[in-house]
Amino acid sequence: MAKVLVIADIKQGVLKGSTAELLSKAKAIGAETAVAAIGSKIESLIPALANAGADTQYLADDPGLELFSAGPYAACVVDAAGQFGADLIWFGFSESGKAVAPRVAAQLNAACATDITDVILQGNQIEVKRPAITNKVIQRVKVNTGQLVAVVRAGAFEATEGISGTENVVRLSPPPQDLRAVVREIVSEASGEIDLSDANIVISVGRGAKDQSGVDLVKELANDLGAGFGSSRAMVDAGFMPHYKQVGQTGKIVAPSLYMAIGISGSIQHLSGMKGSKVILAVNKDPEAPIFNVADYGIVGDLFEVVPILRQELKKIKQV
Amino acid sequence: MKILTTVKKVVDVELNIHVENGAIVEKGLQYVMNAWDENAVESAVQLKENKGAETTLVSIGGGDNTDIIRKAYAMGIENGIHIDDPALAGADSFVYAKVLQKVFEKGNYDLVITGKQAQDTDNAQTGILLAEYLGLPCVSNVIAIEVIDDRNLKVSRLGDTGTEFVDLQLPAVVTVDVTINEPRLPQMRGIMMAKKKSITAMDLAALGLSPDEVGSAGPKSEIVEFIAPEKRKAGQKFEGDPAEITARVVDLLVNEAKVF
Repeated sequence: MAKVLVIADIKQGVLKGSTAELLSKAKAIGAETAVAAIGSKIESLIPALANAGADTQYLADDPGLELFSAGPYAACVVDAAGQFGADLIWFGFSESGKAVAPRVAAQLNAACATDITDVILQGNQIEVKRPAITNKVIQRVKVNTGQLVAVVRAGAFEATEGISGTENVVRLSPPPQDLRAVVREIVSEASGEIDLSDANIVISVGRGAKDQSGVDLVKELANDLGAGFGSSRAMVDAGFMPHYKQVGQTGKIVAPSLYMAIGISGSIQHLSGMKGSKVILAVNKDPEAPIFNVADYGIVGDLFEVVPILRQELKKIKQV
Repeated sequence: MKILTTVKKVVDVELNIHVENGAIVEKGLQYVMNAWDENAVESAVQLKENKGAETTLVSIGGGDNTDIIRKAYAMGIENGIHIDDPALAGADSFVYAKVLQKVFEKGNYDLVITGKQAQDTDNAQTGILLAEYLGLPCVSNVIAIEVIDDRNLKVSRLGDTGTEFVDLQLPAVVTVDVTINEPRLPQMRGIMMAKKKSITAMDLAALGLSPDEVGSAGPKSEIVEFIAPEKRKAGQKFEGDPAEITARVVDLLVNEAKVF
C-alpha cells in the first residue's frame, strides 16, 4: 500500500481546505495517509488534521517555526517522511510548498513535480499529469524513482464528504534554524482579508474599472458575497491593486467554484491563472474580449452599469 | 561580488502551441529568453552598475543560444558561458542543477540569481536544487535585493501571507519573480558591443561531468507524452438591456450552474 504524506496548509494558524482535498485523493487511490503540520502553537489543529483524513499526524510545533522559513520547514518534512516511510509527499498549492518541495526532493534523492493535477499509481510506478508552457500543454510525466515530492495545483483534487482519519500524534523535534537565511519578519498585507487561493468565490477587477471608483465598486460586490477580491495584472501595474491580489501566471492561480472577471479582457497570462475555475462569469464592454471564449456566462456591458444591478439581483437571492 | 546568472532559451509562449501524437509540433515555434531570466539578468546588471559586481551568465542546452546570450550582453552582462552536450537531451531540473553546480564551483561566485521558473516547463525547481547541491542558503520568489556589505544581503520574497524579509548570508542563491524589476531593452550601443564579445562554450567533459553523472542514473522523471489541454468552451454571452441580461445571468447562476 502506498504511503502518502500530506503537508498541512496552515496559514496564520488556520488549516486550509487543500489539506482535506489532498488527503481525500490519497484515500481515493488506496493509500495510507499521514499529515505533517509545521508551525507554532498548532496543537489545537490536531482534531482538524485527523478529520481532514490523516491517520497519523506528525507535529512540528515550536516557537522557532512561527515564521515560515524554507530550510527548517524542509527539515521537518524530511524527518516526517523518513519516520512514516512516505512514497508520495504532497504539498498544497502555495508559495511555501513551492519553496520547500525541491529541497525535500534533493535531500531524499526523490523526484520532484510541481503543479500536478493528477496522480496515477500502477504497482510501484508513479505517473503524474501537470500543465506546462502557461497551460498550453499537459505533460504526462513518468517518475523514475520510488519516491515523489509534489506540489498539487489548486483545485486539482476534491475533498470527499465523510472522510476522516484517526488521531495518532507523533511529535517531531524542532529543526535547527537557518542561520544563513534568517527570516526577520513577515508583513501581511492581507490580514483580515479573504484568502484568494482558498475562496469559494473569487471576483477580479480589470482595466475596465478605469480608476479607484471602479475598483471600489467591484470590491463592494466581493464584500457582499464574502468573495476573494483579485485583480488583473493591468490594475496592479497601474497601482490600483497590490501584487499579492494578482490572478494569473505571474500571480496567484485560483480554481474557485465561481470566478467573476469584471472588466478583464482575458490575456493569456490572466486566463492561465483562473481557467481551472468551475464556473466563470465575465462582464466586459467589448463583445470580442477573449475572456468570453472561456466564460460560461458572459454579460456584454459597462461594469459601472452592470455591477450595481448584479449586486441588487444577488442580494435578492441571498435573502430567499 | 561575483554574480552568476542563468538564462534559458524557451519556446515563445505568446504563440500557439499545437500537440500531435503526444508531442509538441515544432513547426512555427519560436524561441526567446525565459521571461523570469530577463529579470535575473536585470538584477545582476543593476548590482554591477550600483555595487560594482562582476557579472557572468550561463546558459544550458538549446543548441544555438548565441542570440539570447548576446541579448544579455547587450543588457550589460560581462561574461557568458554556454554549456551544451548531446547527453543533456531529456535533462530534468536535477540535471540542470548538477551542471550549474559544476559551473559555480569553477567560478568562485558569491551570488547566483536565476529566474524563479522557466516558461517551457513551469517547474520552478532548478535554482532551489542548485542551492541544495551546493549546500548554500536560498531564497525563492524574491522581489527585492539590497546589498548590506560584501557578505550580506537583505532580500524580500513574496510568501503566502505577505512579504517575507530575509537576512541572507553570501554565498547564496536567489530565484527572482517578475515583479522585482522591469528588464531594460538593449540599446543600439550595447547591441553593437555585444556582437564583438566572445562566448565560452563548454561540454560536460570540460565541466568535469561524465555523461553517466547526468545520464546513466537517468533523469528522476521524464515527460512521456504531451497532451493538448481540454479547451474551455465559450458559454452563453448576453447583449442588450443591462438590467434584463444581468437578471438572466443571475438566474442561470442559481438554477443552471447552481453556484448559489
